[in-house]
Amino acid sequence: MADAKPAPKIWVQSNDSAIIELDRQVAERSVLIKNLIEDIGDEGITAQNPIPIPNVNEAVLRKVVEWCEHHRNDPPQTQDDDNDARKKTTEIEEWDQKFMQVDQEMLFEIILASNYLDIKPLLDVGCKTVANMIKGKSPEEIRKTFNITNDFTPEEEEQIRRENEWAEDR
Amino acid sequence: MLDSRPSLPAEILVAVLDFLPVSDLMRVAQCSWRMREMVYDDTRWVARLKSMGCWNEIEARRRFDEARRRKREALDKSKAASKQPASDPPSHTASKPEDTTIFDASVEADRQKRLSATIPVDGFETMTLETAHPNDPPKDPRDVLEVFKNVRSIRGYARQEYGKIYGALAPFYYDLARAQSHTDPIVFQAFRDPEQQAQMLANLHVFARSDWAQGWMLREEKLSTMSGIFESAVLREFEQGYEFWDVDGRMRRYAHVLHELNGGHAVVELFIHKHPLFGDHEVIAANSVDCLNRAVSGGITLDPSRIFFEMLLRKVNEQAAIIERIFPRPEAPFWEFVNKVREDIIMEYTTSLFDAAHERSLESYLKAVSGLFEQSLLFFGSLVPPESSAVDIEAKSKEMTMRVFEPHIDLYLQEEIDFFTRHADAEVGTWEKRLSEQDASVESFYMSNFNRQADKTDFLSSFKKVVMMPVSVLPSFPMGGSSSTAAATKPAASSSPNGSGANTLAQPSRSEGPGLGGSMDGRRSPLPDKAPTDELAAKAALMASRLEGIKSLFSIEVALNLVHAAQASLGRVAQFIKLGGQCGEEAREQCEAIFVVLLRILGTKHVQPGFEKAVAHLSQYNPREVSHHDQSGVAPLVQFIELVNVGDLISQMIEVFYEQQLAGPKIADKNDFLDPAGLAKKKWEQMLDESVAAGLNKGIDVLMDEVEYLQGSTQLPTDYHPELESTNGSANGNGNGNGNGNGIVGTGGGFSAAGIVADPGPTATATRIVELVSSHTRMLVGTTEKTMLDVFNGEVGLRLFTAVCKHLKRQRVSTAGAIKLIADMNLYFEYIRTLRNPDLLAYFKALRELSQIYLIEPRHAKEMATVIADGDRFGGVFRAEEVYEYAQRRADWYQVKNRVERAMYGLECSLM
Repeated sequence: MADAKPAPKIWVQSNDSAIIELDRQVAERSVLIKNLIEDIGDEGITAQNPIPIPNVNEAVLRKVVEWCEHHRNDPPQTQDDDNDARKKTTEIEEWDQKFMQVDQEMLFEIILASNYLDIKPLLDVGCKTVANMIKGKSPEEIRKTFNITNDFTPEEEEQIRRENEWAEDR
Repeated sequence: MLDSRPSLPAEILVAVLDFLPVSDLMRVAQCSWRMREMVYDDTRWVARLKSMGCWNEIEARRRFDEARRRKREALDKSKAASKQPASDPPSHTASKPEDTTIFDASVEADRQKRLSATIPVDGFETMTLETAHPNDPPKDPRDVLEVFKNVRSIRGYARQEYGKIYGALAPFYYDLARAQSHTDPIVFQAFRDPEQQAQMLANLHVFARSDWAQGWMLREEKLSTMSGIFESAVLREFEQGYEFWDVDGRMRRYAHVLHELNGGHAVVELFIHKHPLFGDHEVIAANSVDCLNRAVSGGITLDPSRIFFEMLLRKVNEQAAIIERIFPRPEAPFWEFVNKVREDIIMEYTTSLFDAAHERSLESYLKAVSGLFEQSLLFFGSLVPPESSAVDIEAKSKEMTMRVFEPHIDLYLQEEIDFFTRHADAEVGTWEKRLSEQDASVESFYMSNFNRQADKTDFLSSFKKVVMMPVSVLPSFPMGGSSSTAAATKPAASSSPNGSGANTLAQPSRSEGPGLGGSMDGRRSPLPDKAPTDELAAKAALMASRLEGIKSLFSIEVALNLVHAAQASLGRVAQFIKLGGQCGEEAREQCEAIFVVLLRILGTKHVQPGFEKAVAHLSQYNPREVSHHDQSGVAPLVQFIELVNVGDLISQMIEVFYEQQLAGPKIADKNDFLDPAGLAKKKWEQMLDESVAAGLNKGIDVLMDEVEYLQGSTQLPTDYHPELESTNGSANGNGNGNGNGNGIVGTGGGFSAAGIVADPGPTATATRIVELVSSHTRMLVGTTEKTMLDVFNGEVGLRLFTAVCKHLKRQRVSTAGAIKLIADMNLYFEYIRTLRNPDLLAYFKALRELSQIYLIEPRHAKEMATVIADGDRFGGVFRAEEVYEYAQRRADWYQVKNRVERAMYGLECSLM
């Protein structure tokens, strides 16, 4: 079907009213959109009547679409994302690493958007990137990075440290 | 969260945490209360324990329930003095809730906490901090080695438990992952013993499964490489030990080391691969073709293979003891070893034997396959595995044997049935050929009136005995027993499938067999060359000599031979049924197929043509062409009936065979109406019945032809009309006396003169007819089904009745002759009464009544008319008009006709 016609298009609209046109195949990287198209049929979606993406702004949406374009031909992910899937954790591929070289705000936005749009691989890449940011940081640095308020007393904090001394790096 | 920067929701943070290594996780925990909750979440740690196979859900539940119970008790006890914060943890400060949870989870858990608090902090601290130069306290290495054994599954404490493992193993693990060469890792420095090193490596492998932070693949690969290096080093040591056959020293030690490391498959493989047994000259020298070469004249003897198996068994069992000394869990290596023996030695041996046998003669091939099958089953069954273990030796031996014979079994089954079919065909063929050469024209088939029933029972009982004998396809295979055939049969029989009850029963008959068989010289040869069949052979010969007459049609001997061949084949194939599974099922089907073939050949190729020929004989029979009628029987009919007898005998034989060989050992299911064997048997019986019925049909025709011929040729006109000589042509000119009262013409004078007949008994014709018919009907008693016999008798009676009626209509009967006629009819009646068929009896009763109308004096015409009109008198068999017709056969009819008619229709006339 995709071969016969010029690739069918889908239109999405960000919360700041930007309309983005993209191939249906690309759009279907998002499980949310895929299910939506299956439910209402792609005739219902036109440039005049795009799919609204209410909590994602244009910049982020374009970024996400860029990722989807690049990964349009990836095999569809398997459903069994349980413990085993975690074991399958692999390194972030190079393109994705570059792709994720954005400021932290954008990174979080991308993660949130991929979570909302249900793009599991992108979410994983995002999470790994965040995990890499955490690696090797002291608790104070982590708090700073993630904007976390310390609600421990110094004694409590010390106790937790001692409790988990076994896990410390040598 | 004061600024506008986006923060991640909890579920995403959790996902992020999944990608973090443990050390970073703990720093995240120090960030805030919320983070700590996330990191400490028990499921996270349970998952890690589970991935290492250290989490036991049942144990966890049990502990949890126990803890709850204790908590309730504790609550009850100290309700009043309750300082317990258990009811409301969130209201307390950060450190306290943790205390409470620990406290809540019971006393045992509390102890557990102390444990986890002391050991990790004290013992492991030194380990983790001083990795550069591990300064092991004496008790440490032990704890590290056994770390997995001490893990407990407690809800809420998965993190602490994991911590213990992590603390013990992570330093080694990460160090190893960083190591450049195999000399670097501290694992190998901390532990000097190869046993301990192996255990540590095994532990690290388990531990690696819980590492799923980025880079785990590299780390695991590294670990594997290290283990590989270690393994090959140990293997080298083992191999050296192997070369010196240092069983209890190096071999044993390093086998244990490798078992500790990864189950020791490599060492088992090495052990088996290099095992001297596979180069053993004695084994190699064993030449399976000996079985063929040593046998006399193209046959096969299984003694060499038996010796071979015995030798092999001895050697393998020796090795079993050695394997037990070397390997920590000797069972798996042992079976692997046996497997290899099977593959390399037995398979080779059997295959070459089968190939050679197949080339030389099919029969020895068949014998070889089933014989070796039994031998190898016994071989595997008598192996002595190292421990009395969970492995079911019987099942295992079946499986092994199965694998040995798997490549052969299809061909074998096919050949077996082909062989049997061909053999049976040939048997029937040679018989036919012999017959045609013999010139079947001259036959002397006089019926000796021997007691058929008793003979048949006798024959069948000995047949049953023989069938129940186990088929000893091979001399047997007693381990270490003597090789003489006679002595060996007994143990073989006891182990053979169908030898159970019948064995003891058949034993005496076998011992007396040879003497009997010797006297019965020639009969013995066509039967399989086995002692127990002699008695049967003798009986068969006896039968055959009596049934000489029908030899030209089919022979009971041939049938017996076929059944024997079938039994031999069946016995061979039935062995494979023991295997079960698909092959067993196939073998079972093949057994049924053999039975079906037996019936097909016996039925359609042997018995049926015989019957057809007999029927043809019958239909060609023309009584007028046969010169001598002095015998008591119609020759072809006698022959045919005799045939029915034999057919019945064969049928019973088949029945016994089916019961004993197929239904008994559960090869064929009697209750399954779609079962091919059952179907074939039914078809066979049906064929036999049909043939018998068709023959009997023809037989009746022939019998009646004979009866009519007898009537036509032997009945003298004067029999029923003795006056005929004197009063020739007296009754003429009385034809038109209708309704005339004085129609009595005075023939009385001549009539009364010849009236006295000297002999009041039945005529010779009637006597002969009754003799003829009764002798034939008697012959059939006990040969076919009762119902068919009844039908036959009924038909015979009915046809006899019509024949007599027809005959009567051709006669002239005078009053004087009526006495004779009545005597005849009485004779018929008496005969019919022996058939016990009430319907028939009515006919002949009527006939008897009818004959009385001839006795009435002409002057009692009126009474005669009453008799004629009285339908009740004849039981409805004859109508008045018919009786009237018979009355016309009176010699003096034309004299009485007018008066009779008047009497009959008189009433009618008066009305008019």
